[in-house]
Amino acid sequence: MASTLTVRGAPEKAPRRIGRAPLRSPLVAGLGFLLPAIVVYTVFMIYPFANNVYLSLFEWNGLSPDKEFVGLQNYQTLLADPLFWSALKHNVIWAVLGTVLPVAIGLLLAMLLRDQPRGYTVFRAVFFMPQVLAPVVVAIIFSWIYDPTFGILNRLLDDVGLGALAQPWIGDPNTALYALIAVFIWVETGFGFVVFLAALQEVDTDLLDAAEVDCANAWQSFRHVTLPSITNAMTLVVVIQLIAGLNVFDYVWVMTQGGPANSTDLTSTYLYQQAFRETNVGYGAAVATVSTLITLVAAVAVVQLRERRQ
Amino acid sequence: MTAPPARRPRTTRLRRNPVWNILRYVVLFFALAVFAMPLIWMVLAAVKPATELAQDPFAFPHDIELGNLIEAWKVGRYGTYLGNTLFYCLAIVVGVTLLSCLGGYAFGVLEFPGRDALFAVFLIGVVVPFQAVMIPSYYLVSDLGILGTYWAYILPGIAFGLGFGMFMMRAFFRGLPREIASAARLDGANEWQVFRRVMLPMAWPGLITLTIFQFMFTWKTFLLPLVLVQEESKRPISLGITFFFGRYSSDLGMIAAGVTISSLPMVVVYLLLQRRITEGITQGAVKG
Repeated sequence: MASTLTVRGAPEKAPRRIGRAPLRSPLVAGLGFLLPAIVVYTVFMIYPFANNVYLSLFEWNGLSPDKEFVGLQNYQTLLADPLFWSALKHNVIWAVLGTVLPVAIGLLLAMLLRDQPRGYTVFRAVFFMPQVLAPVVVAIIFSWIYDPTFGILNRLLDDVGLGALAQPWIGDPNTALYALIAVFIWVETGFGFVVFLAALQEVDTDLLDAAEVDCANAWQSFRHVTLPSITNAMTLVVVIQLIAGLNVFDYVWVMTQGGPANSTDLTSTYLYQQAFRETNVGYGAAVATVSTLITLVAAVAVVQLRERRQ
Repeated sequence: MTAPPARRPRTTRLRRNPVWNILRYVVLFFALAVFAMPLIWMVLAAVKPATELAQDPFAFPHDIELGNLIEAWKVGRYGTYLGNTLFYCLAIVVGVTLLSCLGGYAFGVLEFPGRDALFAVFLIGVVVPFQAVMIPSYYLVSDLGILGTYWAYILPGIAFGLGFGMFMMRAFFRGLPREIASAARLDGANEWQVFRRVMLPMAWPGLITLTIFQFMFTWKTFLLPLVLVQEESKRPISLGITFFFGRYSSDLGMIAAGVTISSLPMVVVYLLLQRRITEGITQGAVKG
């Protein structure tokens, strides 16, 4: 209240103070604060972003001083390139499974710990732990877990009598992609879990009690009380997982480099190969432009869809 | 008489029904095993003699051998890599928090033409992956003559953190009471003084959250240094360990030692700051 009064009383006092504190134009003040950020952001983000589109119109090996302008030819090549399409398909599978499963498992675990039962802090600490490990470290650990001869996964399957299921996992084109996605899920579940756990604490307990008095069963009160109360957290986690899933690189690069037989190629690994290994810089840039566009569209679409529903 | 604020978790059906309660712990312990076992196995593999490891990977070691850890530390140059990572983290965290703090204040408190459009441009940086600018970034740092220096990764690293940093600090400054800033202005403070003396001291919680976020992010980053750090002696640990992995991929003891060394610092930091980290993440989530 007091501060409101000060502001109200201000216009009468203000004239006397003019001259003591010269008010600079708001634009100058705003840009003054933003100048350092604008410089860094323009040079190292906006310029490369624009330059990437520019480079995608050329054929260039990355070394020679001359680039050959080829117009949209790189994009035409891309549309007809089966390897690009299969990489994109892997991205979509990854984004869908890598969003749905971490969200579902994270929410389930958060629901189980909602009333902070015995052991709560230990469970929470361990479930979130994979999030603090570097993806390359996780990738290295799982390369060993999946190893057909030394790995513990096959060994564990053997021990519980499921030895028939033992696989070369990341060495077999049929299972490699899913084995990699499983690693991603192992890491990402902790993020949704923590966000949901916090959101669940904010759910109105009166509403839950009321639902129980009205004889709603557990599923009904989850569906009609809990879930609608955590939509913001849900949207956030879905968008973040989707973006992470579409942009993933590290796990694949360390574990399979896109193989075997291109079965785990993603747009990110494919464009890295093209630009830095095969020296098709212009073509790599075209792949980068298209996959960035897809990420942006997907992120905007999810947010829009959510907002329209509300 | 009014009831005290119900901060204690309510008694749920799970707690009242013993069958459900047992079932819940079955699921929780299964999950605990899935999340913890890979890590335990790695640490055990690092300190167990190879023969013991082959017999029973999960048995507690009879005698702990530190040979692998010492050997990996020497051969893998982990001291250098850890030092590099800390340096990169420090430089990028300082850059991002400083610029985001200034910018977030302008976006959240000041009013000037074009403000929201400019903010939208920064916001795109949250979604754009590094792949989108990976190729030109490489040629840019090379043309600037900083390829091969620490700057080659630090400057793009800062630019990459700005999207999220601006987003967070703007939300934080918006949440502060505006009346205090107006009051200070009326008392003759200029915009810089309002920021430095009045608003910044209130923004510490936001700054700490952003610092934790950016630190973790930089610690984990792999693709940026893979493209931008060309000199072996300047590699951060995430890059160093992948090369180490490539060279020693058949020696589990060495790999496990490398993994343990490179993730231990972060795990310790996490266990010490656990509440801050998870709270920071959820706060960032709720603010958005």
